[in-house]
Amino acid sequence: MFKFLDCLFLLLCLFCVNSQAQTYPSVGRPATVAEIAAWDSDVRPDFRGLPVGSGSVSQGMKVWEKKCASCHGDFAESPAVFPPLIGGTTSADIERGRAAGLTAVTENSKTTIMKLATVSTLWDYIRRAMPFDAPKSLTVNEVYAATAYLLHLADILPADFTLTEKNITQAQARMPNRDGMSVAHGMLNVNGKGDVSSQACMIDCRVNEQSVVVLPPSVNGLNGNLAEQNRTYGFVRGMETSVRR
Amino acid sequence: MAVKTIVGRLLYAPENFISDGVIEDIRQHGLNADRRDFIRKSFAVASAALVSGHAVAAGHTGGEGDPAILTLPKHSTSLGNPVAHLPYGLPSNYESNLQRRESPGLMRKRESSVAFTPLQGLFGIITPSGLHFERHHAGWHDIDPASHRLMINGLVAKPKVYTLGDLMRLPSVSRMHFIECGANTAMDWGSPALPSVQYTHGMLSCCEFTGVPLSLLLDDCGIDKRNAKFILAEGADGASLTRTIPIERALDDVIVAWGMNGEMLRPENGYPLRLVVPGAQGVSWVKWLRRIEVGDAPYATREESTQYTDVMPDGLSRQYSLIQECKSVITTPSGGQRLLEKGFYNISGLAWSGRGKIERVDVSVDGGKNWKTARLESPVLSKCLTRFNFDWIWNGKPAIVQSRAIDETGYVQPKLAELRSVRGTRSVYHNNAIQSWRVEAAGEVVNVQIS
Repeated sequence: MFKFLDCLFLLLCLFCVNSQAQTYPSVGRPATVAEIAAWDSDVRPDFRGLPVGSGSVSQGMKVWEKKCASCHGDFAESPAVFPPLIGGTTSADIERGRAAGLTAVTENSKTTIMKLATVSTLWDYIRRAMPFDAPKSLTVNEVYAATAYLLHLADILPADFTLTEKNITQAQARMPNRDGMSVAHGMLNVNGKGDVSSQACMIDCRVNEQSVVVLPPSVNGLNGNLAEQNRTYGFVRGMETSVRR
Repeated sequence: MAVKTIVGRLLYAPENFISDGVIEDIRQHGLNADRRDFIRKSFAVASAALVSGHAVAAGHTGGEGDPAILTLPKHSTSLGNPVAHLPYGLPSNYESNLQRRESPGLMRKRESSVAFTPLQGLFGIITPSGLHFERHHAGWHDIDPASHRLMINGLVAKPKVYTLGDLMRLPSVSRMHFIECGANTAMDWGSPALPSVQYTHGMLSCCEFTGVPLSLLLDDCGIDKRNAKFILAEGADGASLTRTIPIERALDDVIVAWGMNGEMLRPENGYPLRLVVPGAQGVSWVKWLRRIEVGDAPYATREESTQYTDVMPDGLSRQYSLIQECKSVITTPSGGQRLLEKGFYNISGLAWSGRGKIERVDVSVDGGKNWKTARLESPVLSKCLTRFNFDWIWNGKPAIVQSRAIDETGYVQPKLAELRSVRGTRSVYHNNAIQSWRVEAAGEVVNVQIS
């Protein structure tokens, strides 16, 4: 019995020590509801955080032409300033939920809509970061409208569609690359396992000497005169490379 | 070409081609575009003079000796500048070649671009604050720290707001860590594309960061440990850049940092507050940090869906691939440099791993046929750059130099072919392959790839 009480006492003490976490009086203050609302605009793939609102494809076209087209092109197809947003997806992709083009094209011809799995990402980013030179200047309804217009350009929504917080799941169900993401890899966690394994051979290792690929001389100079990017004294110098315009 | 052979030695450039008058002028007024131009012209004139033999640079040939020794310079015979002449010190004017630089054509908007760290000229493991690489998504501002706030909300009992003053009075830690952009070495996935280590590997820096552990702040807000699975970190810039971080990392070694190399963060690097996520790709180290949200599901933000995902050969994109795996690169001799003569060289480079400490670095000078283990310089720290050195006597013949790092998990830095066999050639991010530099007989060093 005594032993039992002893143990109980010990346990209680441990509990006390455990619960005596360090506190930091006078450091920080409670966030107000209005403050959280002012900053917390993120929208998750499950649409948690999506505000009530609506915007039609035709309203979106007006927003687009005024505030977006100068960088992205009238049909969000322009590669002039940023990589193209729309293009490269098919009705078969919309059926299947995988953008087939991703297996065939180079990085430069990948469009945003090919890579994008979740419509929430599009909505969230337009809201927080667009237009490039005036971020956060669009109203909630303008964000809905611009999103609707983009989805229409990708044949995800019909021309007469009005996108709202209630029907956005319909758009999600037709995203061309909605099943194109994988988290089955070891690169999320520090203790995860890498996907490539190599051996540290030390002597007489196999090397394909015929396979040496050299930096093409044509790019020499594109990065300026390397002689001016190294010290002008010491045991190495930068190579003289002509500057091309 | 400013090359002249004197007693069997290549004299590549006169080392005192700038007159004392110009130096004094620069000392007083700084180095503006005009003076830079003047120095460049002086360099050309001095070089020409050397070639034509009018300026004898050295007296090795049996005269009395080196004029750099025999003629006392002005700095030995006159009074120098007073203390606090430069209240915030600057590098020597002779070091102006080593600067952050953009790679032309990479991005159309300079506010959403990259400036690379000049790894080819740096020593040790710490990146000088002014040379830390830059990558912004909507440009940078110099934010008034007095009006900067950090909010923590979501799955916490007490959503809170902290000022810089609040954060800086908490128990802080100072730790050295590397930061590498997930797209570092991206241009070289397919074939060699860039001429120097500044552009192939220069989205890499390493500093001592000071701040408060994020776990302390999450505890202070009463994190809902049962339901919290991820955090969202958000910046105060125009892009309000956001990234998802798993809660195990957030409660482990993540720091909410204000200090960098003993001073406050530089504005380009997130002043006054940034997240430090050791071992993770740079985009997770959210700059100008304004908010942490605790949630029970990942957020799939733009920077983790259309950007910073790894498109695999089957078309699937790996999402949330934030660990920077074990990698190394030789910084001297490296692409775009020229060795002046044969003989002894110290091959020097950097190794790092997002999963822990560097265990070993091997160096090959014959294109990977034979390897020897390099010296690791101290300190060797977890998720931090490690400097390695290797003695080499160059015989003047073409040689391909490579380095290969192994981290404490036993992971061996792969060859490019091994990486491509799993990830294909259309990937962009997380290229941690062995880098090859070919030293030509003339001493020029060129970016090459070997299968």
